Amino acid sequence: MRVMASYETRTRRFSRAEYERLIDLGVFQPGEAIELIGGELMVAEPQGTAHYTAIMKTAKALEAAFGPGWHVRTQGPIGLDDDSEPEPDVAVVPGSPDDYGRAHPSRPALTVEVAESSLGADRQRKGSLYARAGLPDYWILNLVDRVLEVYREPAPDPAAPFGWRYARREVLDASAQVTPLAAPGSSIFVSRLLP
Amino acid sequence: MKQADRPVLHRWTRHEYERLIDHGFLDEDDPIELLDGLLLVKEPQHSPHRTAVLLVAKAVERAFGEGWFVQTQSPIILDDRSEPEPDVCVVRGSPRDYVDSHPTRPALIVEVAQSGLGLARGRKAAAYARARIADYWILNLVDRVLEAHREPARPGPARRHWGYAAIETLGAGATITLLAAPSACILVADLRS
Repeated sequence: MRVMASYETRTRRFSRAEYERLIDLGVFQPGEAIELIGGELMVAEPQGTAHYTAIMKTAKALEAAFGPGWHVRTQGPIGLDDDSEPEPDVAVVPGSPDDYGRAHPSRPALTVEVAESSLGADRQRKGSLYARAGLPDYWILNLVDRVLEVYREPAPDPAAPFGWRYARREVLDASAQVTPLAAPGSSIFVSRLLP
Repeated sequence: MKQADRPVLHRWTRHEYERLIDHGFLDEDDPIELLDGLLLVKEPQHSPHRTAVLLVAKAVERAFGEGWFVQTQSPIILDDRSEPEPDVCVVRGSPRDYVDSHPTRPALIVEVAQSGLGLARGRKAAAYARARIADYWILNLVDRVLEAHREPARPGPARRHWGYAAIETLGAGATITLLAAPSACILVADLRS
């Protein structure tokens, strides 16, 4: 009989409802950077200066590109599914902050992760999770290679961590321009997002 | 620049873990134990496992005698992030000595392992060695042997993690002596179903 190698990583999973109760009860330390990803409580990558600067620049550029009627959130929770509540670095959702006073937004029109040490996780697990939720436009601002990775067209893939992945991936360097799917009239130079 | 391909799981403190229990997220029957801050799912309690736990408890109770007691699948405290529930452990004194807090340093810990063998030899052995548990046995139901782990050893050139320097594998015909009760010995065959 062979011992299952996967055994060691089996940990208690939490639903989103449980996770929100844990937050309400104040179980976590304030400011602890935790996200619920597929039932697992993950620790977000520490904020370096380049990471934070990239988030601010991206949020500002997207605010200008989307204009009125959209709300750009930075590291705010997204009620993605029953066992996931990620906090993407930047997310663009319809409406205004008041629309989300009772429940977190669930379907951003554009989701951006800024990645240094989290690059592998942002591509594999988060990419699969966001594809499963049907998020149409997912960008990874890759600070390691100083490029923007644009992921679109969610498609089933049994080999992916959550059974889905993005069928289209485009890598844009600093001199290229990108147009958000939900703001087809705007284009943004990738250099404006990079720190 | 370091790229972590595996996301990092949140590590729970014992204090947070106790709050999870107080607020009803976990109850005593949940097959969960806190080890190194991870809420690990325990090996399923199929009947050979359960039988082995009872046989081990009976044998070590007899061997240790007065001044000790045996607890099965009950919590012990190892450190700020570990509150495991070993299958069997032997603790000094009487249960009344532990009304206010769980035991911290059992004289002997025994894990019965089938699907959890990798966990018992890996992460658990490291945690027990780090807590200086002197005598740690794994009753290995896969190969039907008893593994006696002794001499906790810190990480160094020879090992990446805490572990045990002396590991002896004993078959059914062998006997084993208890480090904390050297006059007693147990026939390995008495531990197995």
